Amino acid sequence: MTLRILLNRVKTDTLLKKNMTKFIKKEDLYKLLNSFLKDFEIIGPKQIANKGIFYEPLESIEDLYLGELFAIEPAKKFFLESSECLFHSGFLDGKATVQDAPLPDKRRIIIGLRPCEAKGLILLDKVFDSEYKDRSYINNREKSVIVGLACAKPDKSCFCTSMDGSPTGSRGMDVLLFAVEDGFIVEIYSDKGKEAFSSLGKEPDEHQNKTLSAYKQKRSELIGKNFKVPGDLSPIFESDYWDKVSFPCLSCGVCTYLCPTCHCFELVDEGRKMYRCNDGCAFSNFTLEASGWNPRPTKKERYRQRVFHKFDYFKKIFGENLCVGCGRCIRHCPVKMDISEIVSNAPSGAGK
Amino acid sequence: MINPRTQELKNSRAESWEPKIAAFLCNWCSYAGADLAGTSRREYPPNIRIIRLPCSGRVNPLFVLKCLMDGADGVLIAGCHTGDCHYSEGNYYARRRFAILKKLFEFLGIDPRRFQMAWVSASEGDKWVKVVKELVEEIKKAGPILAKS
Amino acid sequence: MIEELRNKARELLKTKQVEAVIGYQRASDGLSAIPCVIRSEEEAGRLIWDAACVYNLCGYLKDFRAKKLGIVAKACDVRAMIVLISENQLNRDDVFIIGMECCGVVDEKRARVSGRDGSDISSADKCKSCASCVPLAYDCLIKEKREKAKVSEDADKDKYEPVRKLEAKSLSEKSKSWKDEFKRCIRCYACRQVCPMCYCPRCVADQFMPVWFSKAGGIEGNFSWNVARAMHLAGRCIDCGECERACPVGIPLRDINRKIEKDIKELFGYEAGMKTDAKPFLACFDKNDPEDFIK
Repeated sequence: MTLRILLNRVKTDTLLKKNMTKFIKKEDLYKLLNSFLKDFEIIGPKQIANKGIFYEPLESIEDLYLGELFAIEPAKKFFLESSECLFHSGFLDGKATVQDAPLPDKRRIIIGLRPCEAKGLILLDKVFDSEYKDRSYINNREKSVIVGLACAKPDKSCFCTSMDGSPTGSRGMDVLLFAVEDGFIVEIYSDKGKEAFSSLGKEPDEHQNKTLSAYKQKRSELIGKNFKVPGDLSPIFESDYWDKVSFPCLSCGVCTYLCPTCHCFELVDEGRKMYRCNDGCAFSNFTLEASGWNPRPTKKERYRQRVFHKFDYFKKIFGENLCVGCGRCIRHCPVKMDISEIVSNAPSGAGK
Repeated sequence: MINPRTQELKNSRAESWEPKIAAFLCNWCSYAGADLAGTSRREYPPNIRIIRLPCSGRVNPLFVLKCLMDGADGVLIAGCHTGDCHYSEGNYYARRRFAILKKLFEFLGIDPRRFQMAWVSASEGDKWVKVVKELVEEIKKAGPILAKS
Repeated sequence: MIEELRNKARELLKTKQVEAVIGYQRASDGLSAIPCVIRSEEEAGRLIWDAACVYNLCGYLKDFRAKKLGIVAKACDVRAMIVLISENQLNRDDVFIIGMECCGVVDEKRARVSGRDGSDISSADKCKSCASCVPLAYDCLIKEKREKAKVSEDADKDKYEPVRKLEAKSLSEKSKSWKDEFKRCIRCYACRQVCPMCYCPRCVADQFMPVWFSKAGGIEGNFSWNVARAMHLAGRCIDCGECERACPVGIPLRDINRKIEKDIKELFGYEAGMKTDAKPFLACFDKNDPEDFIK
């Protein structure tokens, strides 16, 4: 298909001047995706019985799940892999060599991303594709078309609207699908998306246009949590509030590993290869130094770090919170800690 | 998804495969037993890599796991007969520990032939030869560990 | 029942019998519980008790070494404390156990993956095979006021039936299904952190020389991590099911734990956390232990 030609041109965010809107029947969408299967890797959410929803490379489009439930892991793992080889060293003709790991060149379509996850990618771009250019992250970004799915029924842990997002937001998307009764209304935002979807479907009729605007209106109202993040957290850095709220924390990695925006990593040497692996600030050995000294010895410091990185440090540098309000860290926390509650209840000023 | 490192190993070993077996031997009985087999010029397959430890009780289940996951096709633990332990009771602890591990391996789909235990005393050079011969035979039947993953 | 619990906590704090009480309070969603620590009488009103109190709170005891503490505990939590005491990790005199008669907790995990709020979800699997609603040891017992706390009807049934079913599969089937499970492991170590028995100051998974569990992206590392975790709990696991509940990707860790528990019971007649004076399973032996698997 024509999509291939276009994908050789790289950047994700060559946005169209004017959004295109189409209507496509469910069968037609599946047919279209099926026709992409031989040239592309198609990644999408898949339901595993009793375990939940997981993004996986799909072998058959039949497995694609486009329902209400949220994937457990965000699609971050296809851009910033949980473990990836950076380079390997070796010997050639008596000389030491260092070679970059080969980058995959298979093009892919990632379908089913929620608006919050796509926004998470925009936030990650600020880290890995700005001053510092990360070759593998950028490669992964360039090789992917992002076909999102607007939220039908936000969960009770969701708080995207408090993070300047929306259940129907388009930031970071090439294409966004809105599930309506007999198919999908497709909004196309970028060149990449245009090439893939413009040929199919027809313009939506008046009724469908109305449905779409009602959809957008209604979904934002469904978000139950609404709060304002304190403008500056630094006065309460030393507050014993953090002691109090961090008590239940188990220091596991669920919140950081399932977060669409957390991106801390560690470097691991294994057999002449250097790997970049997930790591998280909640672990007690995250900041442990070789001397044995740990600057963040207790969960108070560690939990505070997570909150400050998201709602203070990052905001001061990049102007946005490093949080998209997807609610994963609340939903999956083994002890039900709620970062939205902790941030919104943070005392203002240098109170004790 | 296979670990790239093990993939390399797998490729390099596809042809003319011979099993590689890690053996943890207690210093006082089994190592001396294997020594005896050597000094009495008994022949046995060279597939075994011996690691000498003070006692079979020193073997941590992690050692076994690490061997199997890094490409050993089998693991053998050999120690003194019960009651003969140089440290009185080390092998009794080992016996309990590995009874559980062996059952767990089978439960998780690891061929039970890949992990074996034997009591070999310092005077049992012949038994050592027999144990190794049988083990190598069995592991040859079980096949390369990586081909299964 | 909740008032009784709060009053007990107030009394303990007032008479300075304990420095703090570890218990449950309501979480932000208004339905589930969240662990909390109560340090003063005024705070005691926050304590709650109902079927949402799923967590095993013993893990928090290690944050307060050598302080006199009160802890709200169900039958399964007390078994964990018994093991900790037998391993010298806890001094019985340091804890005041507020034993709770329990008729089962909700299946928080199932509620989570099915997107429901938990109010319509039945008891957790572990409660279905639980035979005791009253803790084995306690300093005071708070009784269930409702219809006599009912032990689950399935308690008489073979507790290990699911394990037997898995055992009966062929080797290649088992290998495949476990690889599919471990493939999803993200190594967040929630299973370790939530476990009341995992108290090592530095876990083997955090050691670098050698790297015991490879992080190079294959399943080997995940496989050995999960086996090592289960082996470290051999004869110590009291089947509180916290690891499986905490696992975000749904690995059936309880099946592995129960397999070991079953073998230990069948081969050695040992059960963890049932007797206060028992020695840890792997730190003792019997001269007549079975050895038919040894050549």
